[in-house]
Amino acid sequence: MRLPTPTGARIASADDRFVVDLERFQGPLDLLLHLIRSQDVDIFDIPIAEITAQFIAAIRGVEQRLTLERAGEFLEMAATLVRIKAQMLLPRRDDLFDDEDPRSELVRRLLEYELFREVSYTLSNAEAERALHRGKGYVEPRPPPRVLEQPLELTLEEFLEVSLSLPAPPERRPHRAPVRPVTVDEKVELWLSTLRRKARVPFDWFVQRWKTRIHAVMSFLACLELAKRGKAVLRQEKPFGTLWVYPGEDDENS
Amino acid sequence: MAHCGSIPVKTTRIVEAVLFASEAPLTAAELARASGDLKASEVEAAIDELRREYETEERAFQIYPLGDGYQILTRPEYAPYLEKLDSVTRINRLSRAALETLAIIAYRQPVSRLQVEELRGVNAAGVLRSLQERGLIEVVDRAEGLGRPLLYGTTRTFLDHFGLRSLEDLPRPEELQITLRAEG
Repeated sequence: MRLPTPTGARIASADDRFVVDLERFQGPLDLLLHLIRSQDVDIFDIPIAEITAQFIAAIRGVEQRLTLERAGEFLEMAATLVRIKAQMLLPRRDDLFDDEDPRSELVRRLLEYELFREVSYTLSNAEAERALHRGKGYVEPRPPPRVLEQPLELTLEEFLEVSLSLPAPPERRPHRAPVRPVTVDEKVELWLSTLRRKARVPFDWFVQRWKTRIHAVMSFLACLELAKRGKAVLRQEKPFGTLWVYPGEDDENS
Repeated sequence: MAHCGSIPVKTTRIVEAVLFASEAPLTAAELARASGDLKASEVEAAIDELRREYETEERAFQIYPLGDGYQILTRPEYAPYLEKLDSVTRINRLSRAALETLAIIAYRQPVSRLQVEELRGVNAAGVLRSLQERGLIEVVDRAEGLGRPLLYGTTRTFLDHFGLRSLEDLPRPEELQITLRAEG
């Protein structure tokens, strides 16, 4: 199957009204459901030829518009639709066999998907409602006061006395380096996906979900790496202030 | 609730103190332990009493049930004022992909990545990872069969994030607004 691409002089056809912003859709099922539900089509009797044509028109040039993987998901659905369309053209032998409608599997998937999509709207409302309630700790504590550089007021005698009272240093044991549970690359990916959704992200917030130091360190290294690549901009108003991470200029192309 | 009056005021105040100091929901059992050897039912009676008190006194907060626990939270009408503070934690809303994936996991758990992908028609690896990192889902089991795939389920954090007491709070499929348009 060949899909027409949007490049070159294209004759405007009636199908153009189906060219949609694919980013808006969660995937092929979402798009297909949109085509069916927006046209008052009976989902149990989908006019498969028509819908297939509209679907293919909607994803025209998909390989340029989306990442390869996401494009593949839409193309796979297009292939499924074409196969069903072909099966519909074959003579049915209802009287001889209990032949299943070639569309029934697709309809089952669509209805199931629609159900979960509906639940996701319910969840979204619940999330918004819950976000209006704030618990303790919602207002962040004030940053600790800055430690002033004070001259060390101490005599040698005092220092000696204190150092003698300390327990002997523990005997040396071989240092064991733990395996890193997380890599900079993983954090880079996570930053990228976070920054795609947000105008700016406080560093503290990003790392607060992990309680371990290694995650904070890796997250910070990832930040520096992204800043170097121009995919993020770091800003801190004052020492010990919130470190803000902004998406970089060319973030859209990632 | 006739026995409410018989609960010593002190007990109610202890429950209140523990709830006040907590940043996360506490179960009745946890509250009972903190308040000295109380029964969970006595704690619940104390919570009822506190709830009524906050209601009549028009407090800016209330005790809300979250998951199997309780937490003192501000009332929704004060959210805009809290948001004006610039030191507040931004509540980041989940993406549509994340919400759809959570919906599937909530209803079908324990469920494998492949089953989620089959239902949504798209790859789910990235979404599952970020949901796991946010603590909204966890690996609960491994399936039998080839490769023994990981099976995911929702967590207490999931209930907290959506303000649910339990999974029973989610709508039943037949309650959802789905137009089947079966008969022409």
